[in-house]
Amino acid sequence: MPELNFDKVYASLNLRIKDITNIDEFDELTKEFLGKNSLIAEERKKLSSLSSDDKKNYGRKLTEATEFITSEIKAQRQLFLNSQFTSREEVENTDISIDWTPSRGSYKHVLSTVMDEVVSIFSSIGYEVAHGPEAETSWHNFDALNTPDWHPARYESDTLYLDKNLDTLLRTQTSTVQIRHMEENDPPVYIVAPGRVFRSDQLDATHSPVFHQLEGLAVDKNLTFTDLKGTLEYFVKEFFGNDIETKFIPHFFPFTEPSAEVLVKWQNGEWLEILGCGMVDPNVLSNVNYPDNYKGFAWGVGIERLAMLRYKIDHIKNFYDNDIRFLEQF
Amino acid sequence: MKILKSWLNEWINLDNISDIDLSNALESLGFEIENYTEINPNYENIVVGKVVELYHHPNADKVRVTKVDVGSKIYEIVCGAWNFDIGAVVPVALPKSTIKDNFLIDERDIRGIKSNGMICSASELDLWEDHDGILLLDDNEKIGSDFSSIYDSNDSVWEIGVTPNRGDCMSHLGVARELSNYFDLKLASNSIKLKPTIKPILKINSGKGNGCLSYQSIEIENITIEDSSLKIKHRLSSIGVRIINNVVDYTNYVLHDIGQPLHAFDRDKLFGTISVRNAKSNEELVTLDSQNRILDTSDLVITDNDKAIALAGVMGGFDSEVTSDTKNLLIESAYFDKVSIMKTSRKLNLISDASIRFERGIDRNIQSFGLERFIYLFGDSSDIIYSDIQNDTKNFETNSSVKFDKKKITDILGIEIDDKFISKTLSSLQILHTLTKDYIEFSSPSWRYDLERPIDIIEELAKHYGFNNFPSTLPVGNKLNNVGNYWKVRKYFINKLSNLNFHEIQTLSFLDDSLNQIFTPELKSVNVINPIDKSQESMRTNLYSTLINTYIFNLDKHSYSGQYFEINNTYDMAAHKKYKSIPNQNYKLGILIPKKLTSTNNTEYTVQDLASTLRKIIPSVGFEKLQKPGFHKNNSYLITLNGSPIGHMGQLSYSTQHELNLNNEIFLAEINLEPLKFSSLVSYNYNPLSQYPYIKFDLSFKVPDDLISQKLIDEIELLLNDNENQISIFDDYTNEISRNLGIRIITRSYEKTYNEQETTEILNNVVSKLTKKFLITLNEKGN
Repeated sequence: MPELNFDKVYASLNLRIKDITNIDEFDELTKEFLGKNSLIAEERKKLSSLSSDDKKNYGRKLTEATEFITSEIKAQRQLFLNSQFTSREEVENTDISIDWTPSRGSYKHVLSTVMDEVVSIFSSIGYEVAHGPEAETSWHNFDALNTPDWHPARYESDTLYLDKNLDTLLRTQTSTVQIRHMEENDPPVYIVAPGRVFRSDQLDATHSPVFHQLEGLAVDKNLTFTDLKGTLEYFVKEFFGNDIETKFIPHFFPFTEPSAEVLVKWQNGEWLEILGCGMVDPNVLSNVNYPDNYKGFAWGVGIERLAMLRYKIDHIKNFYDNDIRFLEQF
Repeated sequence: MKILKSWLNEWINLDNISDIDLSNALESLGFEIENYTEINPNYENIVVGKVVELYHHPNADKVRVTKVDVGSKIYEIVCGAWNFDIGAVVPVALPKSTIKDNFLIDERDIRGIKSNGMICSASELDLWEDHDGILLLDDNEKIGSDFSSIYDSNDSVWEIGVTPNRGDCMSHLGVARELSNYFDLKLASNSIKLKPTIKPILKINSGKGNGCLSYQSIEIENITIEDSSLKIKHRLSSIGVRIINNVVDYTNYVLHDIGQPLHAFDRDKLFGTISVRNAKSNEELVTLDSQNRILDTSDLVITDNDKAIALAGVMGGFDSEVTSDTKNLLIESAYFDKVSIMKTSRKLNLISDASIRFERGIDRNIQSFGLERFIYLFGDSSDIIYSDIQNDTKNFETNSSVKFDKKKITDILGIEIDDKFISKTLSSLQILHTLTKDYIEFSSPSWRYDLERPIDIIEELAKHYGFNNFPSTLPVGNKLNNVGNYWKVRKYFINKLSNLNFHEIQTLSFLDDSLNQIFTPELKSVNVINPIDKSQESMRTNLYSTLINTYIFNLDKHSYSGQYFEINNTYDMAAHKKYKSIPNQNYKLGILIPKKLTSTNNTEYTVQDLASTLRKIIPSVGFEKLQKPGFHKNNSYLITLNGSPIGHMGQLSYSTQHELNLNNEIFLAEINLEPLKFSSLVSYNYNPLSQYPYIKFDLSFKVPDDLISQKLIDEIELLLNDNENQISIFDDYTNEISRNLGIRIITRSYEKTYNEQETTEILNNVVSKLTKKFLITLNEKGN
C-alpha cells in the first residue's frame, strides 16, 4: 500500500509557513493541511479499505501527522505573532521627555500646602488648629500680649488701624489667637493657629501687606524650656529633614520670656532664622486669668519664609500675584 | 549697631580671644550678628612725606606740582588738592602701591609732567569719607616712615542687633559688660579725675515734672575746633559715624563708648539759665538741619533765658550750634524720659543715635561719667580749661529688691542651675543679689530696665548658661491627630477643588470700595484709617472681585487663564456675631469659572458647570432662584444645604461684565464655610446595588422654558422610591415650537427581574404622573 510521503508534506508545510505575511493565513493553512479536502483527510478516507493491522498502523501515523501539523502551525503562529509584537514595539519608541500637558502641580496654593504640612507635623504631637478674627482689638493684638501702648510696634507706620482711636486693627501677628483661645478654653492648651497677618508695607519683592504666620501655644502644668526646645527641634527635623542642624539664640518678644530665635543651617552653611519662640510671659497668662500653676511656651513661624526656603522662591510678591505660571507649579 | 574690637578692648582685654569666639559669644548672648568685617588694609609702599616744593603745572590750571621728601628720595608728584602748603606732612602712595578698591598707583605722565605716585586723601586710603582734600598728618611724624606704623587700622567690626529691651547694650561698655561674664574677664572702670579751673557762667535746671530727671553740664573754654585724632576718626568711621570736628566727634565717641548722649552748645550763644520744659503749643525751633520745627506740648525742649535752644534728646538748635569759630562750650549730659523722646522723634521722624538710646533707657547714673569721658578725649596736651560739673538731679525712685523661691528656676527652665553659676553670673553682670538655701533676692543696676521680676532673672541665667546647652524634651499635647473642624473643612475644599483643576489663589484683603459696592451695596465696608494707598483702603466684603481680577490679570498677561478658588475672610461693619468691639468677619470659599479659559478656546463653560462643581463638592447642595446685585437676572441662586442658606452663585450680570471690561461671561459662587461640619460633608448614605437587570427609558417632553429639570428628576426618584435609579437629562433643546427635555431613566428592582408588562406599567405611570404634575407633554415617536 502506498503511504503518504509525510516528509514531503512537512516540507511543503514549512515552505508555506515561510511565505505567510498575515496572521489569518495560519487558519487557511490548517484548512489546507488538515481540512476536508486535505491530503491527510484523503488518506483517512482510504483507511476503511485496509486490513486491520494496516488500518491501525497507518491510522496512527496519520494521527501523529495531524498532531504534528497542528502543533507546528500553532507554534509557528505564536512565533509569527511574537515577531509582529516585537517589530511593533521596535517602532514604538515614544519620547516621554515631551510633556503635552505641562503642569505638575496639584493646583493647591503653595502657602496652603506648606501650612497644611506644618499643621500635620504639630497634629502628630497633639496640637489642634485654632483660629481667631483678623480684624481685632488693639487689646488682643498688643496689650494682652504684654506690649504697652508706647511700644514702637504700635505705631501707625507699622500697623493698619480700623478706627481713629486705634482701638481696632488688622492683627499684626497670629499671637492674638493665643489670647482668644485661652479666654474661651481652660488649660491645658495645645494649639496651632495658621492665618493671615497684616502690616503697613507695600507689596514688593521682600514685603507684603498681607502674609501668613502659624502661631503655636502649649500651656500645661509642667512645661519647661527644655520642652520648648524639644518641640521645635522636632518640627524643624520633620519639615527640613533629620540632618538639619538647629540652634537657639536669645531674643526679645514682649509676650515670652525667656525668648529665642531658632536658626537652621542651610545647604550653603548659612544660618537662617526660621522662627521666634519663648516661654509664655507670666503677664500674658494672668491677662487671661489662668491659674498660677500653669506655664507654657509659644512660637510663631512665617509660612512665606518656609515656602521660600523650601522651593527657593525669591519674591514674596509671587504668592499674591497669582500668576498662572506660578500657580501651575505647585 | 556696630562695634569695634579695638574699642571693646578698652573695657575688657580681648587680646587672647579670636574673632570666631567673639562672634559665638555675641550670638549666644542674644546679639544677632548682622554683619562681620575684618578691616585689613594694605598700606604697602605708602609712606609719610613732607611737601618741600610746590608750583603751578605749566600745562594745567587745576593741579599743582609738588616735590615731596620721603626720606630716601624726593619725588615729583602732581596733585589736584589745594588744602595744603609747603611743609605739610602727608601720606604718599609711591609707585607700585595700591590704594582703595585695589587701584594701582604708578608713574604716570600728567600733561607733560611725570608724576611719581600720589598724595592721598583719607577716602583714597579707605579710611573715611573726606571731601576736604589731602589727609594732613601731624607735623612730628617721621618722614619716610611706613604709613601703617602710624595708622594701625587692623581691626574687626561687628554689626549686631540689640533687642529693644536692652538699651544698656547700646554701647561698647554695655556689650563689654555682657562679654566679661562670658569670657570671665574683668571689666575696666576707666574712671577719670577732672581738674576744673574755671567757674561756670551759666546756671542749669532740670525743670519741673519728670521729663528730665537729671541735667548736668560742664563748661569748656579756650577750645580750638579742629580735626580729631586719627584714632578717634578711625573708630568712629569704622562704625559708620560721620567725621565732623573734634567737639562733635567726641560727643559721638562718648555716646558709642558708654551710651550717654551728649550735646555741645556754643556757650557764647546762650544766656542765663539752661532749663528743660515742655514746648508751648505751636512753639517754633530751627533745628541743626536748618528745618523750622513746629512743636506741641508733648515735646521736651531745652531753653536758655531767651528761647528754646534744642529739642531735648532728639536734635540741637541751629542758633546755638558749634561752628568753626566757637571758642567756648557748654556740654549737656542729661537723662530724659523715654516715652517723651520716643514720641517726639517718631512724630518728627527724627531718629538719631541719641534718640534711640534715650527711648530705650540710658543708665540713670552715668551722666557725670559721660562729661568726664568727654574731657578725657582732649588728652593732656590740650589747651582747654573747664569748670566743675554742674548737676541738677531729681530724686530717683530706687529699685526695691525682689525675692523669689529658687525652685522657680527649675520649674521654668527644666534643669537645675547651681548656686555657683548663679552667683558668678549675677556678680559679673553687677546685679546686686543675695542667695540663701531656698531664695534669691536681687535688685537691678541703674542701667537695667528689664530686671523687675523673677522671670527676668531666670531669663538672664538661661541666656548666660547658653540656650544650646539645654537638653531637649518632647511633650505630647492632648489633641493627638485631631486638627478640628475648621481645618478639616478647609482641607476638604482645597483637595476637592484642586482635584477638579481649580487653581487655589491667595489675594490681598484690600481693595477699592467701588468694587465692594458692585456686589454688596447693602454692606458698609471696613476701612483702614492709614491705608497703604487709597486704592487699598477698604477690606473686601466678598471674594468675587479678587477672583475676577486674577482671571483678568492672567488672561491679559498670557492670553489664557483658569478656574480659580480662594478661601479667606470677608469683612463688613456689622457687629461681629461672637466677639465684642470688632467688625463682622466671615470665613468663605469663593469660586470662579469663566466661559472660556482662553480667548480662542472652543470649550465653553456655563452656569451649569458651576452648579455641577458645587454638587461635586457639597453633597445634597440645593439651589433657589434669588436675585442679587452684580448678578444675572435669572442665573442667580441662593445656595442651600439642608434647607439653610450657605451662599450664593450665578452668572455675573451683563452690566457688571461690561463695567469690568470683560469680553466673556463669568460664573461665580461664594459659600460661608463657618456653619459647615466636616462630618456632614463626608458622610452620606450608600445606595445598595441591585442584583437584577436594569430597564431603561429615554423620554422626551415638551416643557415650559422656566421648568427646573431637577424637579422632574426629584419627582421620578420619588415615584421609583423602592428602586436603584440613575436618572439624568440627556438633552435640552429649544426649537421654534417649544423647549424639549430628554430624560433617561435607568431603574432596577431590588427584588426581581421586570417582565414586559411590568416595564410598560412603570413607564406609563411615570409619564402620566409627570405630565399631570408639571403640565408637560410627551413627545411621541414621530412627533
